[in-house]
Amino acid sequence: MAETLFYVLGALCVVFAIGVVRARMPLFSVLNLLGTFFCLAGIYLLAGFPFLAATQLLVYAGAIMVLFLFVIMLLNLGDAAELEKHAGLSLSGRRLFVACSSAALLGLVGLGAAEMSTAFDARTLPAEHALDDLEHLAALLFSRYMLPFEAASLLLLATMVAVIVLAKRQREQARDTSAASAPAESQRKENGVLR
Amino acid sequence: MTPVLVMLLKTLLIFGGVITLAAGMTLAERKVSAWIQWRIGPNRVGPWGTLQPLADGVKFVFKEELIPDGANPLLFRLAPMLAAGPAMMAIAVIPFAGEITLLGQPTTLSIADFPLSALYVVAVSGLGVYGVILGGWSSNSKYSLLGGLRASAQMVSYELALILALLSVVVMSGSLDLRKIVEAQAGGLLQWNLWRQPLAFLLFLLATFAETNRHPFDFAECEPELVGGFHTEYSSMKFALFFIGEYVAMIVMASMTATLFLGGPEVPYWPAAPWFVQLATFLLKTGFFLFLFLWVRWTLPRFRFDQLMGLGWKVMLPLALLNVFVTGLVISLF
Amino acid sequence: MVIVKRKQLSLAERLYLPEVVRALSITLRVIFKKKVTRQYPEERMVTTAVTRGQPRLVLLDDNKSLACVSCGLCEAACPAYAITIDGEETERFIEREPKRFEIDMLRCILCGFCEEACPKDAIFMSDELELADFSRQALIYDIDKLKRPRAALQKRIDYFYGINDRWRKRSSTS
Repeated sequence: MAETLFYVLGALCVVFAIGVVRARMPLFSVLNLLGTFFCLAGIYLLAGFPFLAATQLLVYAGAIMVLFLFVIMLLNLGDAAELEKHAGLSLSGRRLFVACSSAALLGLVGLGAAEMSTAFDARTLPAEHALDDLEHLAALLFSRYMLPFEAASLLLLATMVAVIVLAKRQREQARDTSAASAPAESQRKENGVLR
Repeated sequence: MTPVLVMLLKTLLIFGGVITLAAGMTLAERKVSAWIQWRIGPNRVGPWGTLQPLADGVKFVFKEELIPDGANPLLFRLAPMLAAGPAMMAIAVIPFAGEITLLGQPTTLSIADFPLSALYVVAVSGLGVYGVILGGWSSNSKYSLLGGLRASAQMVSYELALILALLSVVVMSGSLDLRKIVEAQAGGLLQWNLWRQPLAFLLFLLATFAETNRHPFDFAECEPELVGGFHTEYSSMKFALFFIGEYVAMIVMASMTATLFLGGPEVPYWPAAPWFVQLATFLLKTGFFLFLFLWVRWTLPRFRFDQLMGLGWKVMLPLALLNVFVTGLVISLF
Repeated sequence: MVIVKRKQLSLAERLYLPEVVRALSITLRVIFKKKVTRQYPEERMVTTAVTRGQPRLVLLDDNKSLACVSCGLCEAACPAYAITIDGEETERFIEREPKRFEIDMLRCILCGFCEEACPKDAIFMSDELELADFSRQALIYDIDKLKRPRAALQKRIDYFYGINDRWRKRSSTS
């Protein structure tokens, strides 16, 4: 029963993952990604990590994907053809890049998981130290895995700062160029932005 | 075989009960709004208007279904289900009462009990926002889109405060199991988390108002600015489904507040109370918070959107973080 | 230019919550107050002589013939063109009476000009206010629907004479 469910969830996961890359509209990409997260949560549940499954739903499906949707709706991105006009790389080139980097990332994660698996194998842990035990999990997270945990959060913070800096620079550039070419229009634009 | 039957029976009873309660809430909303405005409210259909929800339901079924031109038909149909589904899923772990005997089998009056039930409720009910966002986006209408956008921003901001408030309760009772949280509050009135975590109670209460899109935080609808917000383009049973979802979410959030801070089905000073007394206690506590939802709606004006965001990020989040920190400090020191 | 001075809020007011609690206590008290709803079909509005409802034609004391002589003044006075009159000769002393007298109630704006224009006190504003039917045609009222015995309109007639007499007196003194 559990094994069949695992294969079904795994297959669905792959289908949704393909859907993320294949979808013509960014919104459908996000929805497919959401499906992937749900399948992953199911797999975690099957593997006996309900806490991880719940956190997956809570953090990724409940918060991060909502932000993704928020951004996509704000930008009002159309289909891929519209996107291509703005992007530097051609669509196929970008897809290749995405595929390669995903594979590289997957490999990295796989290596890390293999490294970690000895420590996190639920079967080798004594029963009272099961991963479900929050106290134990928290203790591990704040002692043995303190450094990776903090490093990961630092990485996320750095990414956030970098994105804000990039976005800000782009906007300033756009403002400068338009100010040089047509001051009246830039004034109008600025008003629009400010408003 | 019997365990499966018991499970089915429990599911049917609880689900049916909650849906009936949600229908009753639509009547209560109109009645309470009428009372606060010196009116009587619906009283024509059945005694005191008790059959009004039924009449409304029949009306919804017979209304014409419209799908706006240029709307995405798949998502447009999917959105109401996504709005109502998660709220109904969250009912599964709410502890309505303690021990009960069904078909000769001892069991508890909640569809499922498992160690992470508190986390489950937050995780699942947080998904309800997808219905609102997708409904707003797929309608191909600017009002709907703005309503959906506001809903998503609001949900993300207030979920943090909600979870952090929940976290301080979890730290107090040392478990994510709603049953254990209830047990930790057994005994007298003073054992309630309401007195031990007043700040968390306040933050949780405020966050539930924002999470369920109720006044004074109902920016997803916001009639004066956005016509009807995300459900502007919806009609017939799809519209009704959005509302059932909203009311069920209210019931879930009210019962969560009752469970986390008022001891849920625990009867003060009567530990061995029979299940129906416990159920009545639970419904009384939940009913108070449900009434509070209505009471606040017809009392306070709507905030401005930037005020909402300011309150969420600049006030509630730091306070919730501080509360968790202080709670953790106190727990670890003593 | 209007300068709006912002009121300096105290700390308690800026914290929202005390004020919210105050507002809630006000609405809670209102819940138990006496309701002002009038249950319409059972409890109707109390009308007075001042009420300007739909215009009605006055019947003479024999309760058969109208006081109207179909002079057409109300038709001319009507700002909404709601009145249509066809007159004919009659054996009665007044010599003329309406063959057809129709008021399109969908057009009537209940202004009361017809009442004031009438030289024979034949049309008065009644206290009837309800107007609903399933077709537009049914809402064009003919003589049968418009005629009322004098007693039914007596309150309005007395009131009408009351104010008109006052005006007359005032104009005669000045």
